[in-house]
Amino acid sequence: MGNNPSRITAQDQAILDLKTQRDKLHQYQRRITLLTDKETAAAKQMLAKGDKPRALLALRRKKYQESLLQKTDAQLEQLEKLTSSVEFALIQKDVVFGLQQGTKVLKEIHAEMGGIENVEKLMGETADAIAYQQEVSEMLGGRISNQDEEEVEDELAALEAEVLGLNKNTTQPLPSVPDTQLPQVEEAEGDSNRVKARPQQERQAMLA
Amino acid sequence: MTTPSDPFVFPREYYFPPFFTRQTNLTTHHAQLTKWSSLILSYCRHHRLFKISLSDFAEKDLFFNKQLNRRLSLSDIREVIDFMRKNDNRAEYADSDQKNGGAGKDGAGGGGGDIVWIYWRTPEEWASLVESWVEGTAQKGTVLTVYELTEGEGTRGTEFWGIDQELLLKALQILVKRGKAQIFGQEDSLGVKFF
Repeated sequence: MGNNPSRITAQDQAILDLKTQRDKLHQYQRRITLLTDKETAAAKQMLAKGDKPRALLALRRKKYQESLLQKTDAQLEQLEKLTSSVEFALIQKDVVFGLQQGTKVLKEIHAEMGGIENVEKLMGETADAIAYQQEVSEMLGGRISNQDEEEVEDELAALEAEVLGLNKNTTQPLPSVPDTQLPQVEEAEGDSNRVKARPQQERQAMLA
Repeated sequence: MTTPSDPFVFPREYYFPPFFTRQTNLTTHHAQLTKWSSLILSYCRHHRLFKISLSDFAEKDLFFNKQLNRRLSLSDIREVIDFMRKNDNRAEYADSDQKNGGAGKDGAGGGGGDIVWIYWRTPEEWASLVESWVEGTAQKGTVLTVYELTEGEGTRGTEFWGIDQELLLKALQILVKRGKAQIFGQEDSLGVKFF
């Protein structure tokens, strides 16, 4: 059994001792409970035989044992409280340890970053470099607008025509909708009125 | 440990007189042995018996059908036990350090004990039961006493409550070998820590 070294700590042993004590108390309780049951049974028997004093004695013994039980209950509670405190303390210890480790790592990362002054210097340098780049692009941008603006505008017009031309080829030129009145017959006014009315009616009918 | 609540129901063969006589025909004999071993296993599982004393039980209703006045003789009982041992390790003699890896030459000599473990659940099966309970109750890494596992209030609803302490130790040893647990403490206050 020498392969894996014992993973049992001293605290584990302490907890085991506490729990063993608790187990012993538990066993004791069970024993006493058995005794009280026996005494009750004995008392009943005595009463059946008519032996009152012996029955009374059995009941007195039972009472005493019950008081013992209560005392052990109280002690059990104490033990359980202590056991849980120990277990909780172990957990707290782990938490503190975790915090320690985390803080240490954080500090190491900060050290790697080179310190606050370093970061400030770096930010300043970055801002300078960006400003420099802006100047350069403005200079370059300015030169283009003076010299090649015409050429660029011509290119834009050509592209526009191309795009419109494409549009013209895909869609058929549709005849424009007539917006003049239909030629009226000028013979009779009445007729003309009727004629006027008819197309109006027709138009209305169409609309309807 | 016997619960008289619901009586054990014996299988049909139990009421068949030849069941108690050692059969000569090999095939029938093998079938007889198989039926007896499953009867023993289910009987012990029902009554939650972990160990039986052969001489004791030879008189009890498991091996002695009073109705038919037929019984399985002690040597036949041993034969069934040996069959169970060799077949799938469902039995083990409990006295001294009998290693049941006997190459067959220990017919009657090696199995001379009276107390037999009946593994209606093998130690491996018990081990996985305990392991899953420990995992289910998030008790990995805590210290538990062996007493607590068998008789404690916390385990009252589990399958292994009231298990024979020795059998539990066997199961725990399996976990120890797998590196999943460690047993420590004194002789009668053993503790176990699960990993």
